[in-house]
Amino acid sequence: MADKPRLLLSSSPSIYTGMNVQRLMLYVIIALLPTTFYGVYLYGLPALTTILVSVGSSVFFEVVFRKLTHAKQNYKDLSAIVTGLLLALILPPSTPWWMTVLGALASIVVAKEFFGGLGYNPFNPALVGRAILLMSFPAALTTWHKPFQAIADATTTATPLNILKLGGTLKDVAQSLGVAAPADVYLTLFLGNRSGCIGESSILLILIGGIFLLATGTIKIITPLSMILTAFVFSLLLGMDPLFQVLSGGLVFGAVFMATDYVSTPLTPKGKILFGVGAGIITMLIRKFGGFPEGTSYGILIMNAFTPYLNTLVTKKYGYISGRNNP
Amino acid sequence: MQVKTFKGGTHPPEKKELAKDVPIEYHLSPKQVVIHLNQHTGAPNQPLVKVGDTVTRGQKIASSDGKLMIPHHASICGVVKKIEPRPQANLQDGVAIVIEADGRTEEAFLPPLDPFSCTKAEAIERIKEAGIVGMGGAGFPTWMKLSPPPTKPIDVVIANGAECEPYLTIDYRTLKEQAPAVVYGLGVCLQILGVKRGIIAIEDNKIDLLPTLQEAVARFLSGPGAGKGFDIQVSVLKTKYPQGGEKMLITALTGREVPSGGLPMDVGTVVQNVGTLKAISEAFLQGKPLIDRGFTATGSACKTPRNLVVPIGTVLSDLIPSVIQIEEDLRRVIFGGPMMGVSVPTLDTPIQKNTSGVVFMDSKEALVYEEGNCIRCGRCMQACSCRLSPALLNEAILANDWDLADKLGLLDCIECGTCSYVCPAHVYLVQRFRVGKLTLRAVKAAKSKKGGN
Repeated sequence: MADKPRLLLSSSPSIYTGMNVQRLMLYVIIALLPTTFYGVYLYGLPALTTILVSVGSSVFFEVVFRKLTHAKQNYKDLSAIVTGLLLALILPPSTPWWMTVLGALASIVVAKEFFGGLGYNPFNPALVGRAILLMSFPAALTTWHKPFQAIADATTTATPLNILKLGGTLKDVAQSLGVAAPADVYLTLFLGNRSGCIGESSILLILIGGIFLLATGTIKIITPLSMILTAFVFSLLLGMDPLFQVLSGGLVFGAVFMATDYVSTPLTPKGKILFGVGAGIITMLIRKFGGFPEGTSYGILIMNAFTPYLNTLVTKKYGYISGRNNP
Repeated sequence: MQVKTFKGGTHPPEKKELAKDVPIEYHLSPKQVVIHLNQHTGAPNQPLVKVGDTVTRGQKIASSDGKLMIPHHASICGVVKKIEPRPQANLQDGVAIVIEADGRTEEAFLPPLDPFSCTKAEAIERIKEAGIVGMGGAGFPTWMKLSPPPTKPIDVVIANGAECEPYLTIDYRTLKEQAPAVVYGLGVCLQILGVKRGIIAIEDNKIDLLPTLQEAVARFLSGPGAGKGFDIQVSVLKTKYPQGGEKMLITALTGREVPSGGLPMDVGTVVQNVGTLKAISEAFLQGKPLIDRGFTATGSACKTPRNLVVPIGTVLSDLIPSVIQIEEDLRRVIFGGPMMGVSVPTLDTPIQKNTSGVVFMDSKEALVYEEGNCIRCGRCMQACSCRLSPALLNEAILANDWDLADKLGLLDCIECGTCSYVCPAHVYLVQRFRVGKLTLRAVKAAKSKKGGN
């Protein structure tokens, strides 16, 4: 037996589930595809350009940064593609390409690689990218276009949330969406034929992606559910239309795809619930009292900062029931 | 029937179909045996024989006067050829007594003893003298489990037939073929402990055993166990790893949780593997010490998956190829199951008292992964059988924050390996916890020493 390869030695277990990081990231990409394609369908070439530039430059920046810092290349785990895609989907379709590149730079290099890469970033990279762009170029990042219009010669419009922020009513929103009765606004918002960021508009398609992630065991329902329910209840308390608040803006997109980000959100069940509650409340506070009509990004980013604390709320360990515990 | 279980855990592919339907085969005449002085938890043994001595099957050849004393016996008739370090399944390569068979078929057993009429002390002495240890894997001296201090009253004894490790089927076959011996052994434990209630626990993938077990129980209760007021039930548990872990088993069956740092006896329970119970019954009925044991030889690189009984100390390579045939492509040999078993470097490793199986893996199955970054997906948190937070424990250990690791329950980890099994980034979780537990104990010891000065 001397010429045989030697027996493998490693500490048990000796078997593993087939699951790996690459496959999890692939699931997220698949879950994002319906709303991605719909965004391209709604806004055409500019949306497609933004998506391709964002994904391409994200992967580029990761590879270059890791090369320059002599770190191991990780592009095979697909996480840079996920970050790039998420960033594109929360940008307006008309974002100039060089702004998208800057956003990807902020996401990948500043938010992720500076902290050690995948697994170490305290804040959601895509949201950091968007936040930095929004602060740097507030005008461009709040310029919206109506669906199905070539952006070059189209007039700008306001998102449903904008209209309300500027003192408009549901009737004004209905008019802007081109639906007859104010009651039809909800259905239109649910289906997604409205102006907004590339990937945030169709609640239906976002939920389909979310169901895929739940079915594959990629995410747990607990954080999105707690965030959306909190936003619903809290907006009611603030005297806003809760259904409208949930269906408009990026709330559902954020709840399904950002509040479920593994790295920047809590690991513990209690922490997940509180994360959703906090993000829901902050989002609604910004929408009601803040300078911007939308607050989902900041709601999640602020809660990202609480994640280390929320991770201390661990489940009761086995064997810590006091007493003999006899039935 | 209600199927009971615990919180957490995972369900790896069972792979039990390979050897499940192969009846136990007996191969009791190896050309040599290698019996390690220490194959149990407890005091180190000294050899009672020297090179050149002739020994008989059943003769005591190693013992100690320590508190956790467990003697070992010659498992074949022959001549002591060597007393020297040999490869061992715990990778420690301890000193072993090598006996070469001389062809005799004598037996030097103890006289049979009736456990239901002898005194409790006599019964415990018999189990100790028979060298019986837990045969599920840990190798804890059985007589110790049956001698709880008076402050810890026991009210239930559990026969552990869960066999939650993938691949292994020896407990299943033992229950199927020798249920009366297992039930008798359980009855002996009830008698020694003065307990009425016994539970035989199996996972629901072995539910076909139910009638066999119930019949064996009925026969025992109307035969040797009659008139004692014993109440023995068969309980079916959900098939889930690590259902057969003592703590998980107790919680699933009784709702009690073994306190941190405690033992099953702290919650009034004693758990015995079904193989151990069979050994107990043989020690009384035949006076036979623990010298043979059953194990499952199986795996993707095993052409002949089967359940075997061999004398303890039988060297694996002596069974190849006459009894076990293996594929050319053999890349990993595991003593025990794939979740908690130990990979050994050589086929010259002997079967010991706690070897429940040997899994042979081919190159397709024997995988090792480079460790990735934790992506904090939380799979380990949901799967941990002790409801610990492996991802956070891992961070604490990497940061050398031993206070935090202690607070997060590092010492409560039972090392079942579920966290590493489910981790998509292949973080070395349980592996790091095994080492971390040693470090944490050392850190705590150093601290308490400092505090005392």
